[in-house]
Amino acid sequence: MIKVYDAVVIGAGPAGISASARLAEMGLQVLTLDEQQRLGGQIYRNIQESSQKTRDDMGDEYARGIVLAQRFENSGALYYPRATVWDIESDGCVYFSKDHQSEQIRANYIVIATGAMERPVPFPGWNLPGIMGAGAVNNLAKEAELTPDCDVVLAGSGPLLLLEASLLIQKGVNIKAILETTPKTPSIDAMLKVFPALKRFDFLKKGLKMVGDIKKSGTPHHKGITNLRAFGDDKVERVEANNGSTHLQFSTDMLLTHFGVIPNTHIFRLLGCQMAWHREQRYWYPQIDKWGRTNFDHIFAAGDGAGVKGALTAEYRGEIAALEIAHCLGIIPTYERDQLAGPIENELKHDDYPRPFVDAVFAPSFSKESFDDETVLCRCENIKIKDVRKAVGEGVREVNELKIVTRCGMGPCQGRMCGPAMAEVVGAELALSPDQVGVLKIRPPLKPIPLGEIADMEIETAGAGQADLFKNQSK
Amino acid sequence: MRPRKYHTSAITDSMFKKETNRKQETVKVTLDGESRELQSGISVAAALLADGQIVSRISPSSNKSCAPHCLMGVCFECQMEIDGVQQQSCMVQVEEGQEINRRLTGSEAEKK
Repeated sequence: MIKVYDAVVIGAGPAGISASARLAEMGLQVLTLDEQQRLGGQIYRNIQESSQKTRDDMGDEYARGIVLAQRFENSGALYYPRATVWDIESDGCVYFSKDHQSEQIRANYIVIATGAMERPVPFPGWNLPGIMGAGAVNNLAKEAELTPDCDVVLAGSGPLLLLEASLLIQKGVNIKAILETTPKTPSIDAMLKVFPALKRFDFLKKGLKMVGDIKKSGTPHHKGITNLRAFGDDKVERVEANNGSTHLQFSTDMLLTHFGVIPNTHIFRLLGCQMAWHREQRYWYPQIDKWGRTNFDHIFAAGDGAGVKGALTAEYRGEIAALEIAHCLGIIPTYERDQLAGPIENELKHDDYPRPFVDAVFAPSFSKESFDDETVLCRCENIKIKDVRKAVGEGVREVNELKIVTRCGMGPCQGRMCGPAMAEVVGAELALSPDQVGVLKIRPPLKPIPLGEIADMEIETAGAGQADLFKNQSK
Repeated sequence: MRPRKYHTSAITDSMFKKETNRKQETVKVTLDGESRELQSGISVAAALLADGQIVSRISPSSNKSCAPHCLMGVCFECQMEIDGVQQQSCMVQVEEGQEINRRLTGSEAEKK
């Protein structure tokens, strides 16, 4: 018999932790599956074992995770770290691999809280060793207390790029330059959105302080740069870019890139969830109702995976999803659900005031000129931008067709690193918006696992009941 | 095409420094056939970076060296053989006695 839970929560970042804790606190049987070694997701990575120094460096936003993790541990939710979900069905069946063994379980309700990832943006040389995501170095600091000990250039766009820059400056890292692709002057649209953001002056003040710290440090900071490119033999040695008509060049040992954050949607696409397109931030996210319910009644989405809004909102949305699930399971009546959800919804509203402004200021924009023919688009299969353009020229109009024709997106990462840019390249070629050229279909396993693990697994299929009955009769 | 020879030793000057006042505990692993002491309690990818080992694998499609890029389980650039199974090394904790193979030299093509 496979195990059945009231609720299975996938992911143990802020959304997953708060959803699990709330459900377990209400007496439900909850299993929390998380791919990582320890609680916290990316934002609260290693929160329980991090040193005081790391906590001081990362500030209050990070320290909030301590309380959250404690609450989760006290809640009674069953927690499986190192558990990779590799298949999931809309009827509540979940398959995961943990410590080289795969297991099938069933849940009445599922909360998917698999978070976000850094937007992959290909540029010449982006696959050279020594080029990492800014988030990668942030993770190394939290997990292993490692700090870059060499010349660093930061490039890209978004608040997290500036945050990482100010963290590294504070640690005394030698930053050769910050190269921002964000336009020098914000759009009129962004300017108009500053008004609701003013309601969160505390938030804006933090941002201004960050920018002020960077300025004070004297670190060269170029805005509105274009044509970012990296060169090197076995690893990155030189970074170049254009600033208007000025040519910029820096020798460096490390290039940290960050082009904003997008939801990690593979699991939703595998399920066949209805997806929606974020026009401004140019990403897909699952369509959900106010409780986080997807088009499947028993599948909920919470946190940045359902639309990037940060750790606090993720935590609140986890709670909201948990309340509705408890309501559906008959644990709390409607009025109690609404009573409990009320204050959380107010917090959500409060947290969301600056978001439209931030999304507009750091809105990504891509055109044909953004991508160079010789740049590797698919790192796994070594497919270049020109290969994709050639296929489009020959009449391919959709990304799944393109995958078959070119192998772009067919490697082990299953298009995680090339999918978004592939849609941009095809869209630009055809003068269409990227959401009009399709989205890569995702198939199990979500992450590669040894076939032997599947062979060894005890599986209960829909027809298994009958087959068992037959077996009993023949005895 | 003959794969290039990789002089991994040339790029092992650590790009990272450890900033801690905690006592450092280590584990012994076998890295590409040689015994190596790595910092414990962190992922294999992080432990190798701390040890100055930047290159994580040779891309089977381009034959060029790859290094960890995202360190959050997305990019698969840090994939390597750990205890006989190809895994994302940023998602696996480094453990005493682990056998880690990056296959940086002597690729299948070279053996032929």
